[in-house]
Amino acid sequence: ISSLLGEDKTQSKKEKKMALRMWASSTANALKLSSHVSKSHLSPAFSISRCFSSVLEGLKYANSHEWVKHEGSVATIGITDHAQGHLGEVVFVELPEENGSVSKEKNFGAVESVKATSEILSPISGEVIEVNKKLTESPGLINSSPYEDGWMIKVKPSNPAELETLMGPKEYT
Amino acid sequence: MRSPRTLEVWKLGTVNYLKSLKLQDKLVSERKANLIPDTLLSLQHPPTYTLGKRRTDHNLLIPEAELTKIGAELHYTQRGGDITFHGPRQAILYPIVSLRSIGIGARNYVEALERSMIEFASVYGVKARAGHKGETGVWVGDRKMGAIGVRISSGITCHGLAFNIDPDLNYFEHIVPCGIADKEVTSLRRETDTLLPSDEVIHQQLVSCFANVFSYDDVVWKEDSTVILDTQEDNE
Repeated sequence: ISSLLGEDKTQSKKEKKMALRMWASSTANALKLSSHVSKSHLSPAFSISRCFSSVLEGLKYANSHEWVKHEGSVATIGITDHAQGHLGEVVFVELPEENGSVSKEKNFGAVESVKATSEILSPISGEVIEVNKKLTESPGLINSSPYEDGWMIKVKPSNPAELETLMGPKEYT
Repeated sequence: MRSPRTLEVWKLGTVNYLKSLKLQDKLVSERKANLIPDTLLSLQHPPTYTLGKRRTDHNLLIPEAELTKIGAELHYTQRGGDITFHGPRQAILYPIVSLRSIGIGARNYVEALERSMIEFASVYGVKARAGHKGETGVWVGDRKMGAIGVRISSGITCHGLAFNIDPDLNYFEHIVPCGIADKEVTSLRRETDTLLPSDEVIHQQLVSCFANVFSYDDVVWKEDSTVILDTQEDNE
């Protein structure tokens, strides 16, 4: 979801980071720190650190704040805790059709929060084998459970080498 | 030292809605490719109803066929937010900015848009406030004065805000504005006794508040809308 906080990689590396490891998705929400700062002027160099957002082990991450869980021939994709925090409460999710295809770094859907629709980019290319239908009724799962119940699509990767180009948890943090 | 940030403002007068969408699409691509700086379109629309991505057309209370009778158009868009009305005497700002360069996400961006309108309203002694949860926008008491609907693609914003200077509020009777049934719509004209300057001055002031909230170092103003709009192919 490239609308988020896209501070550059070099800038984020300079930030002091604390990676919190979470095992269960339900605790991801408990440790979410709102990065909303009430200041009347935005400082342009103000880079919201990824501190205090949970980052899970065992997942790969894209710079645009999506995660991928690769299990066998299926890759599950969603957006990170950091991403959902910067969106605000998700009220609507638009997902592709099953059997459609997604391409690396191309838009596959959108979420709406605070009257803003934000595109979501796919970290990998492949065929969409399943979409999370629960998100139609419960779009807020993306906020409350970004790594588990808030998963968005499951893809059969067409080019597994793409997974190697993604970041690990330490790099993403 | 960071490099200075410039905002280029295009003063466009009254622009047909579809034309403004085409212009925004073009500018979003150019901004994404770093061919242009952060750009803001300052304009008004002829009477137009618009819907967001959720296509909440149940909030349009008259049949679509009736719209031409009242001199209005209807457009479906990809922006967030519900149904709204745009028309003469309503200030529209469409910032095409890179959130990446500013270093913020959707929520902070929208909050900054709200602050821009709130700061502007205070110039006229109007105490406006941001919306409560689920009611994004700018309010005076329980009356809505400014609306927001944004689209963010690849980190570049389009659509933006609509601030009621003194539009014909009757147009709002034909919709459930922003999907909120029990709240009124208001305008700067209704909320202040201060004599209002021309719309051109008001737009300029509103843009200055935006530039201030977003900490731009320089603001470059461009007029000559005929040149700007005619550079688009009409049969694109």
